[in-house]
Amino acid sequence: MAKARALDKRRKSIQSTRKITHTMELVASAQFRKAMERALAASAYTERIAALVGDLARAGLKVAHPLLEERPQCKSTALLVLTANRGLCGGYNSSILRMGHKRLEELKAEGQAVRHMVSGNRGASYMKFRDVQIDEFFNQFDHHPLFEQVNVIAEGLLTSYLAGEIDRVEVVYTRFISLSKQYATIETLLPLSELANAQNAETETTKGQVDYEFLPSPESILEEVVPMAFKMKLFKCFLDAAVSEQIARRKAMKAATDNADSMISILTTTYNRARQSQITNEIIEVVSGASAMK
Amino acid sequence: MTEKNIGKITQVIGSTFDAEFSEENLPAIYNAVKIDSETGEKKIHLIGEVQQHLGGGKVRCVALGSTDGLFRGMECEDTGAPVCVPVGKNTLGRVFNLLGEPIDKMGPVETTEYRPIHQPTPKITSLSTKTEIFETGIKVIDLLTPFVRGGKAGLFGGAGLGKTVILQELIARIASAHGGASVFAGVGERTREGNDLWREMKEAKIGNTGRSVIDQTTMVFGQMNEPPGARLRVALSALTMAEYFRDNLGTDVLLFVDNIFRFSQAGSEVSALLGRMPSAVGYQPTLASEMGALQERIASTDKGAITSVQAVYVPADDPTDPAPATAFGQLDAFVYLARSISEKGIYPAVDPLASSSRVLDPQYVGQRHYNCARLVQQTLQRYSELQDIIAILGVDELPEEDKLVVHRARRMERFLSQPFLVAEVFTGKPGQITPLEDTIRSFEEIAAGKWDHLPEQAFLYVGSVEQAAEQAERMESAAKKK
Repeated sequence: MAKARALDKRRKSIQSTRKITHTMELVASAQFRKAMERALAASAYTERIAALVGDLARAGLKVAHPLLEERPQCKSTALLVLTANRGLCGGYNSSILRMGHKRLEELKAEGQAVRHMVSGNRGASYMKFRDVQIDEFFNQFDHHPLFEQVNVIAEGLLTSYLAGEIDRVEVVYTRFISLSKQYATIETLLPLSELANAQNAETETTKGQVDYEFLPSPESILEEVVPMAFKMKLFKCFLDAAVSEQIARRKAMKAATDNADSMISILTTTYNRARQSQITNEIIEVVSGASAMK
Repeated sequence: MTEKNIGKITQVIGSTFDAEFSEENLPAIYNAVKIDSETGEKKIHLIGEVQQHLGGGKVRCVALGSTDGLFRGMECEDTGAPVCVPVGKNTLGRVFNLLGEPIDKMGPVETTEYRPIHQPTPKITSLSTKTEIFETGIKVIDLLTPFVRGGKAGLFGGAGLGKTVILQELIARIASAHGGASVFAGVGERTREGNDLWREMKEAKIGNTGRSVIDQTTMVFGQMNEPPGARLRVALSALTMAEYFRDNLGTDVLLFVDNIFRFSQAGSEVSALLGRMPSAVGYQPTLASEMGALQERIASTDKGAITSVQAVYVPADDPTDPAPATAFGQLDAFVYLARSISEKGIYPAVDPLASSSRVLDPQYVGQRHYNCARLVQQTLQRYSELQDIIAILGVDELPEEDKLVVHRARRMERFLSQPFLVAEVFTGKPGQITPLEDTIRSFEEIAAGKWDHLPEQAFLYVGSVEQAAEQAERMESAAKKK
């Protein structure tokens, strides 16, 4: 009996695990849809800002801004690693953390001073376990990061950058491409060299377009637009990370539910067999005992 | 007794028979009853052992051979004593059946001493109180289930998990380094295995003395082709020979029994025929007392020590089955072979969590060994608890601490495997004898994370942990060549 009872107990515990994973799967699907809408909306905005810089450039303006310039010597880097606050999302956190940790070691090996910034409780526990120092830590971003919250971090980074405390800002996050494609990546946000490059590409491909008239002046607009572009890119990183997290969670929970299902069916078969053999055994004992009495 | 005490067979039931003697000259319980007859072509030579007095001059006997050709009215003779087997130095190097008759075609045994196979158990006051660890060079056994010199060790396992292989490995390791006598009892196992063992023992040499292992070994066989009576008594015959070495020659004796479960099984086969009511799971009601009577005799006394290793078959992989369960209580070291381990391809398939030993205690093995063994068990225990979670959610979901536990447990699990001397011809890997000191140090280092960087596969089938590192290098260079 001991064996059958133990099997039944185990089956029950797996059934309740399955209930949790199944619910998580449904919740993640719902949240993923919302997060994706926001990310798509933001990406349209970011693209438009890049196009705007291109337009400015075409206005005959030499695009020059401290945020766009590559510094000759990179002595200090801010490394921002975006992880989730919660687990149960498969390899999402570990792939980001592995990449982030590797990058951190690389930067340190280059002799750079690294400002190590981590978002998400998972990242914090990973680093703490490995005794890696974290300079700044955030866990206020959940599945719904707000621009105001990101803005605070962005302002901080901008100030340090302009003051020359850091020469570079890199973000490690999971980039969202489509429903079926997300990957962990390292992106350099400052200096905004990509924006400057976009401007060159833009001039070649969009020749013969309407010339805009900028008011009050292209310079003042550039002054406004470049920091905004950085903030938007950072915000986009947070949004992408949030979507990818939900997708990863949904996928992981689906797999977990399937695994639990197959385990339950195996355990049910084993349990039934154990129970049956036990009954058979008892019948044999009773019958042979009775026939021995004859 | 000058006149022969002759009786007549009145009934034959399977491997038991009834015989009628005169009321005054009833043979005593356990006496051997001899049947010698020649009817035409057929020669019948059979020994029976009296088990019950039925009243009215009738006795019920268990046949220690085949009852084919017996008929009612046949004459049988009470030998006046239980079955007696030859004992002494001249039995060394020979192979016997349970009646003490040599079956190796090497002529009669020259000995004057015979002993009845039923003997009282040694007195409790004469039992040895020494506890000394018996090193085998097998990592998992030395670390988790240390054997006791002069103690009893059991190898439990279901069908095909390698009990016999471990037993033969122990014979190869211990008997070849052992100065005293060894006795091997083959109880109800494959005849082929007995034959192989005998030939191997003839080839193997003891240390560098140039003498064969067989010269120090007595073998007694009652294999699965024999009727239940033979399998029921063969262990006693072997034990009697071993006892003589202990009591009269005062040497240390090794006693190997393969397989003690067959003894219980044979008892169960004849039990119903003797008219006993079956007990739990159909076993004989006397299961525990029969086992006790045998096991109590395997003991170390102040005269000499018997160190015994017994294989115990576990029917249907169920250790709660009454037969292995009764054997379990008698043993000092308990090595449990698990199917789940053998399915992973880890041999010896010792279950590190189910196996135990009476002497795994700081008092006997020392604090360091004890701590190391418990740490290994804790790690593996945690890993087995996490198994369901890993199966459902995957390793990535575990907290960092548990990930590390899993990482090391998987390495320890593989490191518990070891290439065997007797398996050398099959695996192509030379057998490894790992000193206890190396074993403990290796496991301590793995637990401390010194070897975390090696791939799991490197830990399979090596001796000490340094060999694992070498294996990892070899694997890497082999991968590069490709």
